[in-house]
Amino acid sequence: MDVMTAIKGRRSVRSFTDQPVDQDMLLKLLEAAVWAPSAGNGQTWRFVIVTEETMMKKLKMVSPGLLGDPPAVFVIAQDMALSKQKGGQMGPETLTKMDSAMAAQNIMLAAHAMGLGTCVIASFHPGAAAKLLDMPEQIVPTLMVTVGHPAVKPPPPKRLFEEVYWFEAYNG
Amino acid sequence: MDDKGFEDKIFGLVSYVVVSARNLLEEPARYGPFRLVDTASRLINILDEAGMSSDRLKAVRDKIEAGKYSAMGTEEEFEQFLETTVFFVVDAIDNTGD
Ligand SMILES: Cc1cc2nc3c(=O)[nH]c(=O)nc-3n(C[C@H](O)[C@H](O)[C@H](O)COP(=O)(O)O)c2cc1C
Repeated sequence: MDVMTAIKGRRSVRSFTDQPVDQDMLLKLLEAAVWAPSAGNGQTWRFVIVTEETMMKKLKMVSPGLLGDPPAVFVIAQDMALSKQKGGQMGPETLTKMDSAMAAQNIMLAAHAMGLGTCVIASFHPGAAAKLLDMPEQIVPTLMVTVGHPAVKPPPPKRLFEEVYWFEAYNG
Repeated sequence: MDDKGFEDKIFGLVSYVVVSARNLLEEPARYGPFRLVDTASRLINILDEAGMSSDRLKAVRDKIEAGKYSAMGTEEEFEQFLETTVFFVVDAIDNTGD
C-alpha cells in the first residue's frame, strides 16, 4: 500500500471482531512505532501492549475514550525523568506529547496497511492507568492506540482543505 | 448472568462515569453529552444481558448506537442526533416496555 493511500484510508475504528491480533503483527507495529522521529532522537517512549482480558477490562474502566472491545491496546508512555534530562523543561511538557503522537501515527498507518483497525485515545486518566499497569512514578502514559480486526469500515469524516493553508505567509 | 457478573458490569459502568466526571473538567464540552448517552446505552446493555431489559429500552439503545459517533462530526449533526433521541424517548414514555 502506498503512503498516501494509507494516510487517506486510515479511519478511527471503534468496533472490532473477536479475532486476536497475532503477536508478530503487534511486534511489527512496535517496530513502526520506534522508527518514528523523536525530539533529539530522545526515544523516551515506553510501550506496554495489553492483550490479556483481565487487564483490558481494568484499563477500559479508567479510559472513557477507549470504545469498543479491541483485542490489543498499545499504551504509549513516556519516561518523564529521562525526558527532562534529555530535553530540559520542554521535554516533559511538550516533546513527550509530540513524540508519542508521532509513534501513534506510525502504529496506525502500519496497522492500516496490514488490514488492521486502530483508534488513538487521549481520553483516559493517566494516573489511574499508570497505577493499574504498575508503572513507576516517572513513567507516564500519554496516549493509547487500540488495535484489532475492524468489524466496520467507518465513513471518512469531512476534511477541510482550501480554507486551512496558505503559501508563503498566513493570509486569513 | 449471576450476581457477581452483574455487579462486575455495573462496577465497570460506575468506573466509566466517575473517570469521565474527572476527565470532563478538561475535555471538550461535547464529550459530556456523548458520555451521558453512551452511559445510557451501556446501562441498557447490562440490563439486557441480565434479562431485565424491554423492547423500548433496546430501541433507545439501538437509536443511540446508530448515531452516537456524530459527536465526532459537525455540531449540527450531533445536536440533531441528540434532539431526535429525546423525541424517540418521549414517544416511548407511554409504552409499558413489554
Ligand atoms: C490526540 C487525539 C486524541 C483522540 N482521542 C480519542 C479518544 O479518546 N477516543 C476516541 O474514540 N477517538 C479519539 N481520537 C480520534 C478522533 O476522534 C478521530 O481521529 C477524528 O474524529 C477523525 O476521524 P478519523 O481518525 O477516522 O479520520 C483522538 C484523536 C486524536 C488526534
